[in-house]
Amino acid sequence: MSVLLVLLLVVPLGSALLVLLLPAARGPRGEPLVRTIGVSAGAVTVLVSLLALTRRPWSSTDAVLEVDVPWIPGLGARMHLLLDGISAPLVVLTAVLGLLVVVLVTSGASSPRGSRGLVACLLAVEGGALATFTAADLIVFFVAFEVVLVPMWAVIRWWGDPHDERGRRDAATRFILFTAGGSVVLLLGLLLVVAASGTTDVVALVSRQGDGISQPVQLTAAVLLLLGLAVKVPVWPLHTWLPPAHTAAPTAGSILLAGVLLKMGSYGMVRFVVPVVPDGFARVSPVLGALGVVGIFWAGLACLVERDLKRLVAFSSVAHMGFVALGIASGTPQGLQGALFANVAHGIITSLLFLVAGGLKARYGSADLRVLLIGAGGGLRDRSPRLGGMLVVGCIAGLGLPGLAGFWGEFLAVYGAWQADPVSTGAPQGFWRTLAALAVLGTVLASAYLLRVLRRLWHGELEDGAAPTEPDVELVRSAQGAPSDAAHVDPAMLESGARAAPHLPRDLRPGSRWRRDDASPVEVVVGLPLVVLSIVPGLLPWLLLATTEPAVRHLLAVDRGFV
Amino acid sequence: MITALAVAAPMPLLALQAASADVARQGVQHVAWTALGPALAPAVAALVLLAVDAVVGPRRGGGWWRDAVAMTGLLAGLLLVAPLGGEARATFCASPSSGEGVSANVACGYVASPLTLALQVLVLSAAVICLLLAVGQRHAPTGGSSGAPRTEHHLLLLATTAGACVLAGARDYATLAVAFETASLPVIGLVALRRDGRGAEAGLKLLLTAVLSFALLVLGIALVYASTGSLHLAAPVSAALPDLDLLHGVGLALAVAGIAFKLSLVPFHAWTPDTYAGAPAPIAAFLATVSKVAGLTAIVLVLGVGAPDLGPSWSRLAGALAAVTMTVGNLVALRQRTAVRLLAWSTVAQAGWVVLPLAGAVTPHRVPAAATASIGYLLAYVVATLTAFAVVVVLAQTHPDGDRHPLAAYDGLLRTRPALAAVLGFALLCLAGLPPGVMGLVAKVVALGPVVAAHAWVLTAVAVLNVVLGVAVYLRWGARLVASVPDVEPSAEPATARQPVGGATPSDDVSWVPNPAGAAGGSLPGGTATSERALGADVRTAISVPHGVALLLGIAGCVVLSLLPALVANPLG
Repeated sequence: MSVLLVLLLVVPLGSALLVLLLPAARGPRGEPLVRTIGVSAGAVTVLVSLLALTRRPWSSTDAVLEVDVPWIPGLGARMHLLLDGISAPLVVLTAVLGLLVVVLVTSGASSPRGSRGLVACLLAVEGGALATFTAADLIVFFVAFEVVLVPMWAVIRWWGDPHDERGRRDAATRFILFTAGGSVVLLLGLLLVVAASGTTDVVALVSRQGDGISQPVQLTAAVLLLLGLAVKVPVWPLHTWLPPAHTAAPTAGSILLAGVLLKMGSYGMVRFVVPVVPDGFARVSPVLGALGVVGIFWAGLACLVERDLKRLVAFSSVAHMGFVALGIASGTPQGLQGALFANVAHGIITSLLFLVAGGLKARYGSADLRVLLIGAGGGLRDRSPRLGGMLVVGCIAGLGLPGLAGFWGEFLAVYGAWQADPVSTGAPQGFWRTLAALAVLGTVLASAYLLRVLRRLWHGELEDGAAPTEPDVELVRSAQGAPSDAAHVDPAMLESGARAAPHLPRDLRPGSRWRRDDASPVEVVVGLPLVVLSIVPGLLPWLLLATTEPAVRHLLAVDRGFV
Repeated sequence: MITALAVAAPMPLLALQAASADVARQGVQHVAWTALGPALAPAVAALVLLAVDAVVGPRRGGGWWRDAVAMTGLLAGLLLVAPLGGEARATFCASPSSGEGVSANVACGYVASPLTLALQVLVLSAAVICLLLAVGQRHAPTGGSSGAPRTEHHLLLLATTAGACVLAGARDYATLAVAFETASLPVIGLVALRRDGRGAEAGLKLLLTAVLSFALLVLGIALVYASTGSLHLAAPVSAALPDLDLLHGVGLALAVAGIAFKLSLVPFHAWTPDTYAGAPAPIAAFLATVSKVAGLTAIVLVLGVGAPDLGPSWSRLAGALAAVTMTVGNLVALRQRTAVRLLAWSTVAQAGWVVLPLAGAVTPHRVPAAATASIGYLLAYVVATLTAFAVVVVLAQTHPDGDRHPLAAYDGLLRTRPALAAVLGFALLCLAGLPPGVMGLVAKVVALGPVVAAHAWVLTAVAVLNVVLGVAVYLRWGARLVASVPDVEPSAEPATARQPVGGATPSDDVSWVPNPAGAAGGSLPGGTATSERALGADVRTAISVPHGVALLLGIAGCVVLSLLPALVANPLG
């Protein structure tokens, strides 16, 4: 029984409960207490996850960090938690993002509802995600998978876009109905595996590699499991809940949604489908791969015409997750490694992009791409060098430039698809190679739409190189609510205080020493680690790849000669 | 009313007599009274209540001793369950050698098996909470100082409970039929206790339904008896005539149809919403829990114990009923505007989930697992529904519309009455099957397990749809708890803040509570906190002690079962 693993779950979930239940945390006077509890819980979780890394969980396939106690004997389920090379990067990512979002909401923009419920929800999402990434029992995995639903629904529903009440409600409802439906389908698949194999323990299931589960049952189980998880990933055409959810969610919610929640789906595929029902998965994988590639194109084309930065980033998420789906579908060690790498990279990069998009929306009331045109001579970069700089790093990393985090995952995923085994998957080699080639074309699309953003940002130009038209400038001016002179603060805004800009970061309120149209200290504190993390894995890809490699080989039973 | 009493009170004893009459011919043997304890306790309490009331007179004295007698009866029943754990005990057996222990060859009229005990605990606990809810009511007819309705209410409640307890142990059709009726008829009296037009209408609807349902059940039992030549549940079909199997099947189908009224399975559900809405809310809670437990008990006995070999046939019937019931229930619940009606349709939908696992009993050896799963789901359903009803009952006390209060009465409840809102929120999450209501989630896992194992994919597709619908139903209500309401200005006098929340307009189009001008530092004005505190004090006095206990018991049940979901997965353990 590993204390670290228990702490990893108990600290965020317990703190969420504490924040909700402590009478002293109520009301405006409780805000400092909420901040203290939230930030220290986030920090302790990061610390615990890093301590767990020092035990080198990837060094052997035997569980270094494990909890295994009886839980629901009636279902044969045990509270079995495990940290290995596949979970470790995601656990650290979740812990880091969890800390960053708590810092962001407790020190940054304030909501009229106060931050107590928001912090509790964010910590609950973090705890649920950590439980999902460490679960080694099918039933535990399912319960953990569901834990994040209600808190995330609440985050979107009540702390989302303050300008659009109806949109928030619709997005939250759509989010929870889609994902709850997906979860039940997942549950059906899990129950089918349990009924056919007689065990809920994933370690036992992985070591069996599907032995004892008949071919048709494997196929049905694989279809159900993939269908359920595909809603979460999301794989085209089940992605329709994602763009509205991201648009409506607050920045912190978007970061957790993109950085953590989507990963639960792809992680589930790697851990609970590929090794558990390998034959069934191999039969379905061509469809998964094809849908992934369709998603890459579909979302890429949508991004080319999307006018709202938040929606654009959300659609680009669908495209990136398409690469992850393709990598997983290939069923090769390289593909899986690439998928896991792309998972982490996408979590970091998208979080950075959402941080900037959310910041722009808080300032100008809209994340319309036209706000990027703001600036004296050039684009936003001139006016807000720090925000602009973060956006540049995010965009370049997102388009998969070698040397940045986005490159290796997608490269390996495509390479994996190129190498996919035509015999076991039942699809000809030409099919897989076509998919790989199309995916490469998809990266070109990604370059196109992200460069479109960069052009506005950098040069303050529209697509055709023309200067912004008068209506564009008008919109910007009105959204800005202040004269375009950056250093100047409108006295009217000072008078009306927070009423005029209640959603601005607190340290950018009138009277602050900081220029309110560039990144605030909190945004810098949150953004800087993300910028560093967008670069480091790109320069040192072996850090991540070495972590996941033994576990991936184990999952695919490479050493047993199955692949 | 007195007639109803005269009929209802001796019913449990009749049930026992019927069972003993069955075996009297072969020489009466030793009766295992300890095994009968849980069922006898409420029946004895009912008789004591009736006798003392006859002596003291209906209008004499306060109500407290009546409450005490009724509560003692229920708690004694719960206590008497405790020593019965372990080996099953049978009594009223066909073979004189029986007494302690039970074997497959001996046909007994009453068996205290783990199945029996689990259902009895469920019935008695639910009855305790329903009694608390009724006793805590501020106004007559189900509470208050006037003695007569109180006596009648307790008497009828105890009789129903005793009937449901006997039903759990019944293992022959005679005992089953009489116990089933004992658990049904007094409820009509309970519903009609509200002496107005709505109460009468609700009572009449229930009466007609009960009569029809009993007729079907008895006809079914008669056909089964004709085909087997024995009243014992598991008696094999006689080989004397060739077509008796068909007769047996038709008999079972009719019996199930009769029972389906009680469980409000679609298409036998039509009485449910009007009756729930017409009855006092605590009685509606009683209908939704104790009556449903009785209904499921009867189904499990008739199908699971009585005809496990026919599982392949009746599992389809159960699946069809479950699919239609949950879909109709959820779809209509989605459109309801008042809390009680929403809960009424929710109980219809949940009844579908309760029956769903029986669809997995496609081979005889899968029957026990399917029945256990049904009871596990029932356990979670009863606890969550009672908790939700407890909040509805408490809120109805202060709401101008009483039991008929609309869903809008829950707008912003988390701010005005946080404890109440938290309890309701948790119960709704349990019903929806979403964490932190782990209890409900595990119940869904338990219910779907047998169906998936039986590869009934069409049914699972319907179930998936209904999980989504259910989430929509319960979150539609739950979201109101946090919804913003048009708030009083914090500077206004506290008196305005004390107005009941009920009159609030629908919140859907209400925007943010504006952050007042002084809040440049992001802080809310201090006035809100004080007015909240004043409101809190007000609320504490508004909840009567029995209601408080009922709420605590309900939420404790939800939390404990969510932390230890093992009990939901194995309710007989």
